[in-house]
Amino acid sequence: MSPPKSHLRKLFSEAFNNLFPAVPYAAPETNESGDWAVEVKNLAVHIKSQNSAVFSGVSFEIPVHCRTALIGPNGSGKSTLLKTLAGLIPQSAGEIKLFGSMPRIGRSRIAYLAQSPQLNPDFPLQLKRLVQMGTYAHHGWFEECHHADEKVASALKLLELEDLVDRSVHNLSGGQLQRGLLARAAVQGAEILLLDEPYAALDTKSREIVENFLFHKDNSFTVIMATHETADSQKFDRVLEIRDGSLKTIHACAGHKNHHA
Amino acid sequence: MLNTLLSAFQEDFFLRALLALFLSGISAACLGSYIVLRRMSFISTAMTHSILPGVVLAVLLGFSAYWGALIAALLTAAGIAWISSRKGSSEDSAIGVMLSVMFALGIAFMGLSHSWRDFTGLLFGSIVSVSTEDIGVILGTTLIVLFCLRLVHKELELASFDEEYAHLLGARPGLLRSVLLILIALAAVASVRLVGALLTTALFIIPSTTGALIGKNLKEVMFWSVLCACGGGTLGLIISYTFQGIPAGAAIVLGCAIPYFIVRIKNA
Repeated sequence: MSPPKSHLRKLFSEAFNNLFPAVPYAAPETNESGDWAVEVKNLAVHIKSQNSAVFSGVSFEIPVHCRTALIGPNGSGKSTLLKTLAGLIPQSAGEIKLFGSMPRIGRSRIAYLAQSPQLNPDFPLQLKRLVQMGTYAHHGWFEECHHADEKVASALKLLELEDLVDRSVHNLSGGQLQRGLLARAAVQGAEILLLDEPYAALDTKSREIVENFLFHKDNSFTVIMATHETADSQKFDRVLEIRDGSLKTIHACAGHKNHHA
Repeated sequence: MLNTLLSAFQEDFFLRALLALFLSGISAACLGSYIVLRRMSFISTAMTHSILPGVVLAVLLGFSAYWGALIAALLTAAGIAWISSRKGSSEDSAIGVMLSVMFALGIAFMGLSHSWRDFTGLLFGSIVSVSTEDIGVILGTTLIVLFCLRLVHKELELASFDEEYAHLLGARPGLLRSVLLILIALAAVASVRLVGALLTTALFIIPSTTGALIGKNLKEVMFWSVLCACGGGTLGLIISYTFQGIPAGAAIVLGCAIPYFIVRIKNA
């Protein structure tokens, strides 16, 4: 039998959630997926402060479950493209559709991992709580995350972080933190992972774990990864190169030939 | 000594002061945890100092001091937001400008009243003279603050730790920051009666800085902050009662500083 305090909290939480059924910031998702995870047509992005186009006339499609590498020299716009897809940078022209809908904030099906995440170094947080944060968009008011414990445990196991659950995130190595952030994205229920140079801080072991996570056949993510390491391109289903403000497909997923080479 | 202590707990005014201190301590320490962890100490100092002109004007015009203080605090928050959104102004300098302007306005209004003595309680606090009505206001404020913090606990925690991810999930970190500033204004207004406009900020920051040194997560930081605010404040109140010359407001702040220095030296 649950103690009276938690019973009371549950009753209160249920009553409040009946009054205000949806967490107001979560964007409603249609279950529409179709063949394409990402569809981009004539995309252009201008950065106001630089008063110039980072890229323009960019068009490509990425099928569901396709692992895509985004390569190109420094400053070519790989990070800008990922941020635009995530809805963090507004597009100047063109059309983007992720699972058939425009990119916007509040979509739990999309996760973006920055190259150097700007985490508050003063905020005390244990790894388990970091991973639990992925579930926040799915919770109602007043709800805690305990009923997602199984999901969290499974993500931690997948990324081999079970022994570090109580460790402060500030005492994790760069690789362990990156794995923690990927576990958070998995718990979030993300289906498209937009990853900006995720291998940059990884040692060999961490890299192996992350590759297993991203490329394992049982994990059905659609991955778009900005990377410098062209040697790894064979692992990807598709390689897109961004250079001098335009984009071309180097090789495409089986069954999906170059559309905009 | 023991007799003095026991007699303190038999005095109605002392028990009222203790109740007011506990209620204020809880809301100030919970909000203070966010202030300290988000490095917002300067803005909370501005909010607590800026209520001065509102209270003075309200007293001069015969309105409730609480409403005057609240309006002044909200004006300060809006002023900071407006100045810092202009080109070439950082938030840091916006806070500095608003803090100085509002405090100077308060002093100017006090000069107009020709009676500075009426406002010493406002500047330095007078916890021993809190009325039942004051306790009602403090209780109401504490309940509002705790309800709001509980309502957006997950979101505030997320936005405080990883603002970009909070933004991506749609949790509106900017709106949450505004909510936090309004709650700080409310709690500051309720606490000003206890330790005064000059020292209210200490009630938010010192216990929470101690909590942040001990706690491993937000809940632990809040727990230790509340404990240090209530425990240290009680100690200060007892010192003020025992050594009659020490003002209660100053003694409470010094009492809150004792756990901080103990933990600081232990962790050094």
